[in-house]
Amino acid sequence: MLKPPQSGEGADVAAPLYARSGAAAYGVTAEQFTAILDEILRKYRSQSSAKSSVQSPAQSPARASAEHEAAFCAGLRLEELALARACAAGNERAWQDFISRYRQKLHSMALHITRDAAHAAELADSLFADLYGVNVRDGVRNSKLMFYTGRGSLEGWLRTVMAQEFINRYRKQKRTVSLEEKTEEGVQFAAAVPAPVYASDQRLEAATDEALAELSSEDRFTLASYYLDERTLAEIARTLGLHESSVSRRLDRLATGLRRRILAGLRTRGMSHAQAAEALETDVRDLRLSLRSRLTQDSSATTFPDSRKVPAQDTSDGSG
Amino acid sequence: MTEVPKIVYDRLRAAPPEQALPDQALQDEVAPQRAHPDADLLTAFAEQALTATERDGVLAHLALCDDCRDIVSLALPAADLVPTPIAIETDASRATASRTPAPRRSGFAWPSLRWAALAAAVVVAASVLVVRSGRRDHATLLSKVVPQVAATAAPNLTQPSASSMNQLANATVNQPATVAPTDEAKLMYELPSPKKLKAGKAPSLPIQGRSVTALLDTQNASGQTATLSAAGSAPAPLPNSPAMDATTAGARIMGRSSEAVEVSSEAVAVEATPSADDTLVARNDALPIEKAKPAPQESGANAVQMAESQKAALQTNSAVVGAASPAVAGRNVTSLVALTPASRQAPAVTWMITAGVLQRSLDGGQTWQNASHSDHPLLCYASYNADVWTGGQAGALFHSIDSGITWEQVRPSIKAQALSSDVTHIDLHGPAEIMVSTSNNEIWASVDGGKTWAKK
Repeated sequence: MLKPPQSGEGADVAAPLYARSGAAAYGVTAEQFTAILDEILRKYRSQSSAKSSVQSPAQSPARASAEHEAAFCAGLRLEELALARACAAGNERAWQDFISRYRQKLHSMALHITRDAAHAAELADSLFADLYGVNVRDGVRNSKLMFYTGRGSLEGWLRTVMAQEFINRYRKQKRTVSLEEKTEEGVQFAAAVPAPVYASDQRLEAATDEALAELSSEDRFTLASYYLDERTLAEIARTLGLHESSVSRRLDRLATGLRRRILAGLRTRGMSHAQAAEALETDVRDLRLSLRSRLTQDSSATTFPDSRKVPAQDTSDGSG
Repeated sequence: MTEVPKIVYDRLRAAPPEQALPDQALQDEVAPQRAHPDADLLTAFAEQALTATERDGVLAHLALCDDCRDIVSLALPAADLVPTPIAIETDASRATASRTPAPRRSGFAWPSLRWAALAAAVVVAASVLVVRSGRRDHATLLSKVVPQVAATAAPNLTQPSASSMNQLANATVNQPATVAPTDEAKLMYELPSPKKLKAGKAPSLPIQGRSVTALLDTQNASGQTATLSAAGSAPAPLPNSPAMDATTAGARIMGRSSEAVEVSSEAVAVEATPSADDTLVARNDALPIEKAKPAPQESGANAVQMAESQKAALQTNSAVVGAASPAVAGRNVTSLVALTPASRQAPAVTWMITAGVLQRSLDGGQTWQNASHSDHPLLCYASYNADVWTGGQAGALFHSIDSGITWEQVRPSIKAQALSSDVTHIDLHGPAEIMVSTSNNEIWASVDGGKTWAKK
């Protein structure tokens, strides 16, 4: 009853999938399995329709989508899905399998994520508790495995869930740290500096935003990963499924392209070519200059963290 | 790498997802970007398993959400980060190639149990023949068969009736490395004599999966055994088979006749040995060689037949054959010994690190025992059949070649440098190739089982 509401052939579609998943061994009936597939389909149908309706409202909702859904289901990780859902339902054998397959992996994953034994143990244990569903709601164990839908591998899902938990848990810490880092780089001062001094910056910002907005998501992702998150080329390449050298080439292309786009944007905002180039090049130095002048002006009142910034800017000045 | 203007950093950073996007072009995509993609989508994204539309949606979010970028990055598989995917050197590419077929430790799988059931049935049939044909010199026969069976089972879980034997078995199990062949004789000497069994004292066979604390804790297996031996003996034309009563719940087999005891203990031996470590298996095989000669012709012939059939049938679980049939067959030991190396293919040992202590399970994760004693908390491990490596804080690195019974500390060093930081990851590619990653991003590698090391 894989219910594409318009066709009755859902059961035929689901039967071979059910057989393939091996869900029967974990005590999941064909009906339950079809219901799971149904639920997953509904979830992703609503998500994709939100997007696709914008692009192709003419997409026929009938036969094509039924076939599409069948293909979609066949592409799921059925075996791991069956295991996860059977675990969530509390099947003993499923749990045994799950433990023998993933328990030790959970611990090494946690160590990889936290890079610290104590945190790793804590993280792995709390995730395991979530997976097992310690908190019972309405007499039903509330297992996190209910949310696994088989789009990616179960192991990858576990890693992602763990990473999410890690980020959630240590977000506060991380925020503080990154704020400090930002302050040290001096970037935060761009906003803090009074506007009149940087009259030209308004145009520069606008031009930059425009240039960034023109980028594809993938390009912007690459830029952010490389320049903001300081990921390695290898990591970015793995995430995007590309070769490392293509990421490197893309970054080169993006950097030059951005520069060109910003310059063009500045000129449309009324700057001459030379002015635009100067604005782009001198922008950062301007910041530093003004900072330094500010720092020297009220050096008597300089607090310790401020004075620390002076050498930092000096070094980056030399490089840029 | 071309630098981008600082303003780009600034503006890239300045656009958190909740902030309204300045440009019209992005307005359409704002809605899907708002909600963080769930773990499924992120995983599928990293694994390149999304459709183009979905992928675009996730990317659009990731481009603006540093938290989600962090998650994706953190969730990248650890192993793949160590050697970059495009490593050209042959070593690394070989390593990546050999990583994929790493054996999955899956505990006690059903398929192997099915073969074990077959093996148990064969053993039952064979032993019935043995018992029947040798009825004239029943006592002599039993005196040969039973001690052998018992000796085979000795490192395992079952001993007929004598609680002292359980202790002895425990002792054997706890110090398997120190049990010399001479000790085996003593072991057998202390076995209850066949006459005792024959006297119908209702010897019970407590299968002590729970109480045996060391290596051979196969609680799971013993439960199965009870069923198996019961099932196996039911159709067999044993004179006293109705007396044999197997209750799976208690995992306790009561045998009233010596035959029944014999059969079931063999079945137990069949069942329990696969989880024995290799040294034990090897010893079980070696033992009957000496005892083989006096075995009667008939049993020898049967054994040949049996060994042949099992050889064909039990490729994955040949340890079962190797351990079980010598007890009955004796004669055919050579062919059986030839089979045992295959037993290395089926390790039933599962490992886990809890609170810095390496733990071992022999029953697919039901019960765990501490397997190592280290001053420093352990952080990671890797195993390749009976070969186990584990590492921990402050350069602790241990190696065991016998599934964790004995450990040897390994101290990799090159010239003046030694491994001293925390070991965070160990990769084993086969028995001799080891890669150890540390918390300060050192990689130590050895290709000769840890004798010499190279640092990368």
